[in-house]
Amino acid sequence: MKKMFQSIAVPVIAVVIALVISALVILAIGKNPIEAYGSLIHGAFGNQQAIIDTLIKSTPLILTGLAVGFGFRAGVFNIGAEGQMGIGALAAATFASNFGGLPPAIAIPLTMLIGMVAGAGWAAIAGFLKAKTGAHEVVTTIMLNSITTYIASFMVTGPLATGYGSPKSPEISTSAQLPILMRVGAMELSSGIVIAILAAVFMYVFLNKTTSGYEIKAVGFNPYAAEYGGISVSKNVILAMAISGALAGLAGVTELMGVHHRFLGELAGGKGFDGISIALIGQNNPIGIIFAAILIGALRTGSNEMQFMGVSKYIVMITQAIVIFLVAADRIVRAIYARKKVEA
Amino acid sequence: MKRFLVIALLAVLFTFGFSFKAIMVTDTGGLGDKSFNDGTWAGIKKAGEELKIETKVVMSLEQSDYVPNLTKAAEEVLKEKDGGVVFAVGFMMQDALEKVAKQYPTVYFACIDFTPSSTLPNVIGFLFKEQEAAFSVGYIAAAMTKTGKVGFVGGIAIPPVERYRYGYEAGVKAYQDLKGKKVTVVRGYTNEFSDPKKGKDLAISQFSQGVDIIFAAAGACGNGVIEAAKEKSEKLAGKGLENIKKYALSGKALYYAIGVDVDQDYVAPGVVLTSATKGVDMAGYYGVKWAYTGQFKGGTQTLGLKEQGVRISQLTYTKEIIDKVAPTVLKEIDYLQGLILKGTITIPDSEDALKAFTVKGVKLPK
Repeated sequence: MKKMFQSIAVPVIAVVIALVISALVILAIGKNPIEAYGSLIHGAFGNQQAIIDTLIKSTPLILTGLAVGFGFRAGVFNIGAEGQMGIGALAAATFASNFGGLPPAIAIPLTMLIGMVAGAGWAAIAGFLKAKTGAHEVVTTIMLNSITTYIASFMVTGPLATGYGSPKSPEISTSAQLPILMRVGAMELSSGIVIAILAAVFMYVFLNKTTSGYEIKAVGFNPYAAEYGGISVSKNVILAMAISGALAGLAGVTELMGVHHRFLGELAGGKGFDGISIALIGQNNPIGIIFAAILIGALRTGSNEMQFMGVSKYIVMITQAIVIFLVAADRIVRAIYARKKVEA
Repeated sequence: MKRFLVIALLAVLFTFGFSFKAIMVTDTGGLGDKSFNDGTWAGIKKAGEELKIETKVVMSLEQSDYVPNLTKAAEEVLKEKDGGVVFAVGFMMQDALEKVAKQYPTVYFACIDFTPSSTLPNVIGFLFKEQEAAFSVGYIAAAMTKTGKVGFVGGIAIPPVERYRYGYEAGVKAYQDLKGKKVTVVRGYTNEFSDPKKGKDLAISQFSQGVDIIFAAAGACGNGVIEAAKEKSEKLAGKGLENIKKYALSGKALYYAIGVDVDQDYVAPGVVLTSATKGVDMAGYYGVKWAYTGQFKGGTQTLGLKEQGVRISQLTYTKEIIDKVAPTVLKEIDYLQGLILKGTITIPDSEDALKAFTVKGVKLPK
């Protein structure tokens, strides 16, 4: 119980401190921080459109957060969610823009599956190299990110181009687009958010209720002990990377099928890397990750409204950076917390 | 009495003024790119000051910001008594703009560098004949290179970037045809428009392949190209315009960059040989003005050399260097631009046209 309280307290305190520091920055540029935060909250949750926008932005962040968080639980640092997201979306787009005749009941799950398998396979390359040769996944996944970038730009300017000369694929067939939950103006909330939450449930159940999950966690805690206990480290490293990659691939797929409806040159746009910070803030816990992703999604959505007040978008990036810094260095926060308790 | 009424009316109008707003939504490149977004914004601000109306800019950080930002901007404009205009800057915003513009038929939208796939009465698309400016900088590059290799660094191979490249390569080809000097073009793309480091890496790799002049059509990535050329040249000649000039005028080889979209010559004086500029500022200016005065007409506006929508920079810092190294080149460019205006030569705007392009029939005046 105490441990749970602590793991919630750290990110919450970090957010509060970050907001206070950002308020000072806003004051320093001559704006009113209360008004600025007011418009931030209004922009993120103030009306239906804002809430939809926040959920749209949070969906891929939940999934990349889960991808990286899952990796952390297994003791692997998957920095390549960006590339796995891209390759997943690319594979799905290639399929879904060419096979239009299928009914939605087949097209949607099949397209999703293809994207997830592509992401899983891409990450498993790094897992395999780590398991068999010891090549560190941080290096290999980053290299795979670069390869993805170039494959993607080749595909969208070559075989998958619209013919109009712009770096995007044709629209995927309507039968492969995710059903819309809600539509306000030009904004559409797809069922991607439901998929993201289901993925979090999957991660929770898998890690806590299955033997494979237990083995993966054991390898993450202490690979030597796990090996000694008869658990194959290399098998589990590859498996963990593959599942992590599948989750990242799913992030790309929901962006493709639910938001853009086509593959764009820079579809991932840094969301894979955001996954690292979200996993950190969410303490690698699936439920924590959902909240962390919504927090970051809301900050970004709200920051657009803040800009109309004349407060730069970069303020929010400062806030986000401070949160990550504090959570990563949560010992600082814990030290403050511990001292307070002693004083009390 | 009548005169008094008119004056009173004017006074009332002047105090209350028009409540009209111009809002610009940037692409992911954002303000501070020293090129395309900054240029458009400068034009909008100029119109805003002239007409005494409020102007605002909203930056997009990711692609999924386009729809919400355009929507918010349109909502904001709707609140004004006299409406306003929303600018969508950048090719990648096309899908988002089409969705939003259809939702707000009473709001004016102006697009920079793209035009919606079907004509909408409330949307104007500004396109440019980038190739007509790039032709001249390609010609200068071919005249100035000492290694016989010039570089091109593009962002993403979207039509405006490719039009720059076609024009640039056509300029190089024209110089070869007219002067018989062999010059090859090395191409590369950064695959994005926002990270200067990627431009710098690519520039360094091109320099190491023997390229000595690079034309960057890559948004903010281009700043990295300029930085790479600056570092290389400063190592040879020392810091500052004076040193660069002295070194170049003594006839020794240096490394140069060529700027894009706006006059970037000032970014690294002496090192940025010239810039192929396009009138994004003019588009910003007229977009606001037309919407304000009611002259706004939906459709496409293509601005070229003739409309003064594209040109090369003033050569504030490099004119002496160019005159010294290639004494006749600026005169020749004047002449060739005259031919473009007359329609005698057409600068290619596609790969096929580039392959077919030649100026073999042209005779330069003595």
